[in-house]
Amino acid sequence: MANKEPKVRVQNLTKKFGDLLVLDNLNFEVEEGEFLCIVGPTGCGKTTFLNSLTRLYEPTAGDILVNGIPVDPKKQNISYIFQEYSSFPWLTVEQNIRFGLEIKKTPKAEADANVEEMLDIVGLTKFRNYYPSQLSISMLQRVAIARAFATKPELLLMDEPYGQLDIDLRFKLEDELIKLWKKTGTTVLFITHNIEEAVYLSQKIMVLTNKPTSVKTVLDNPLPLPRDVVSEEFVALRNKVTDLIKWW
Amino acid sequence: MTEKKKRVLFGALGIFIFLCIWYAATTLTSLGKVMPDPVTVLAGFFTAFVEPIGTHSMIMHILVSLRRMLIPYFFGGVLGVLVGILMGWYKLADAILMPYIQMIRPIPPIAWIPLSIVWFGFDEGSKYFLIFLACFFTIALTTYNGVHSVDETLVRAARMLGAKDNQLFTSIVLPTTVPYIFSGLQVALGSAWATIVAAEMIRSSEGVGWLIISGQEVGNMTQIMVGIMAIALTGLLITSIMRGVESKLCAWTVRGK
Amino acid sequence: MKGKKKFQINKYFFISILSICLGIFVWWLVTDGLGIFRSNALPSPVKVFESFIKKWYETKPDGATLLEHLIASLQVALGGYVIGAIIGIPLGIFMAWNDKVDMCVRPVFDLVRTIPGVAWTSVMVTLVGIGFLSKALVIFISAMVAMVINSYSGIKQTKTVHLWVGQTFGASNWELLTKIAIPSALPMIFTGLDVALGSAWTTLVAAELLASTKGLGFMIQQARGIFRLDIVIVGMIVIAITGAVLSSIIQWLGRKMIKGGRT
Repeated sequence: MANKEPKVRVQNLTKKFGDLLVLDNLNFEVEEGEFLCIVGPTGCGKTTFLNSLTRLYEPTAGDILVNGIPVDPKKQNISYIFQEYSSFPWLTVEQNIRFGLEIKKTPKAEADANVEEMLDIVGLTKFRNYYPSQLSISMLQRVAIARAFATKPELLLMDEPYGQLDIDLRFKLEDELIKLWKKTGTTVLFITHNIEEAVYLSQKIMVLTNKPTSVKTVLDNPLPLPRDVVSEEFVALRNKVTDLIKWW
Repeated sequence: MTEKKKRVLFGALGIFIFLCIWYAATTLTSLGKVMPDPVTVLAGFFTAFVEPIGTHSMIMHILVSLRRMLIPYFFGGVLGVLVGILMGWYKLADAILMPYIQMIRPIPPIAWIPLSIVWFGFDEGSKYFLIFLACFFTIALTTYNGVHSVDETLVRAARMLGAKDNQLFTSIVLPTTVPYIFSGLQVALGSAWATIVAAEMIRSSEGVGWLIISGQEVGNMTQIMVGIMAIALTGLLITSIMRGVESKLCAWTVRGK
Repeated sequence: MKGKKKFQINKYFFISILSICLGIFVWWLVTDGLGIFRSNALPSPVKVFESFIKKWYETKPDGATLLEHLIASLQVALGGYVIGAIIGIPLGIFMAWNDKVDMCVRPVFDLVRTIPGVAWTSVMVTLVGIGFLSKALVIFISAMVAMVINSYSGIKQTKTVHLWVGQTFGASNWELLTKIAIPSALPMIFTGLDVALGSAWTTLVAAELLASTKGLGFMIQQARGIFRLDIVIVGMIVIAITGAVLSSIIQWLGRKMIKGGRT
């Protein structure tokens, strides 16, 4: 098997805010099409980590390579679903979903098709002309998800997108996410503080340490999809991850 | 370089560039025939602290204008807050008083000047009346809005826990209303300052507004600019003090700059 | 339950009407009724109403009808206002978007903004004489200042997460400004338009009191000189109503143009 360049390669990523060292020399790789969940103790800089990855925060030191070249949102197809609600209140649902496609100057026919597909997958076709102020919270997150997937990203970053939702909705959206991921083959980096969610979704789990944050370990998650949250293997893995986070 | 140092440096640079442009415009173009250069104006401004213009020195002019504004501002503020709270809390007071406030507020305070001159003459009384008007209605209305913005659920929760009316008042209503009161106070300050300058320009024998109008009457542009400088600096001083007081009292809300 | 609420509104509405009627009655009482105030100190509501009707076609005592004064005032005010908006809004946006420009211009601007528009009247009159231009310039300054302040605030308040969405999609700086910051700032820009209008209108009245030969401010200044307080009050009322109408037009425009229910 030829040694393929990993989709994402992070070397010596360090981020300081003034004198405060948040990220300390992180090194890891993510293969193409992989679903990586990132967990760690609260406040360990997971969001800083993802923001530094996309150069929203300039790293103090280190290299971030996507497809072998330094990360560049203008050249590469990256989407980011933030923790806060980020749909644009002045655009309708459809216009929101279309936003990324317009920035990337996708040809109209293709953009139209993508938008239709996304509206259908998240079940918001009937609400396409509604404004975010008229939508419920669950719908708002779906708009953000649809917008992120509409550009068929090669790299998708998600920062605790389901944190504020109730359990039924969360399970439903997690299943939707896996469906989308399988369909598009996107590489996904998914931050969560919910270990069950991490074990449910991931192929690999990266555990971060407390500040100054570095990579503690990366676990494989070989459980076959779809996963059963009450099966022995699931619970065992979940406990293993919990222990790794707790005893640091 | 720290953020703060950067800000101060660029700020000073901005002012310097502005003064240079002003200087160049007045010395190199025909603008200099009608407008004095910044050096002349600054000299005139500082000289006025020792040599009086008219009957007063610069410091006296500024103090007179401030006095004329701050006394009615205080009363307008106190009364405005009281009436605003009254109207916000008691629907009856709201029904009786609000129509008057809604009808009188759209009249710019400056439009009251002719009437106030007839009623109170040319001296201090008419100016106090004017500034009082300028402040009272705005502050009453913003205070009213503040009281109305109190979260119903908070009040109900407190009542359930047995809070009496005056306790409700001091622990929930007042803190919620304070940012609104300050917003009203700041708007009223700007309005009062504009009104006192206008009132002094129309009829007075001292004060920063008088500096400007008397300069206009004899075509002395330097004096006009000195007056404008005095107004700008005094205005800046009071707004800074206002912001300082507000940030101390309203530490938990973040208001835009 | 709904029926009860409707009744409640009617009750307070009725009280308001009663309050106003009472006020007008007291006004009449102290003027015409009991003669406590003479008409050169406080005219009766009847006289004010009469003068209001008459002034629409009567050019005495100041040389123009109410309508002519109103139009003259509106021309100057709107002229200076529109130019103030055309320059002020882009200026405010530019200052807020560009950090270096912001740090340089802000202190100068903070100094200038404390100068009430009316103070510039003397400068303008000395430079260009009494007339349309000096008033328009003064109004332009006061309107522009309000526009800059509000447009600036609007852009500064752009949510960081919204900008981040654009950045991760690879938007250029120009796209971030035009597709995210400006639409996001639109409600505040309209607030600026409203505030600037109020500022322009007040400055207009002041300018007309000081240096004008027509307009509503001129009209009430003249009327005071000959103790026609009824005309003064008519003028004040028309000034107030016009200001309120203009403001509601801007607010209506805002509701139409600001998408997403953000007003």
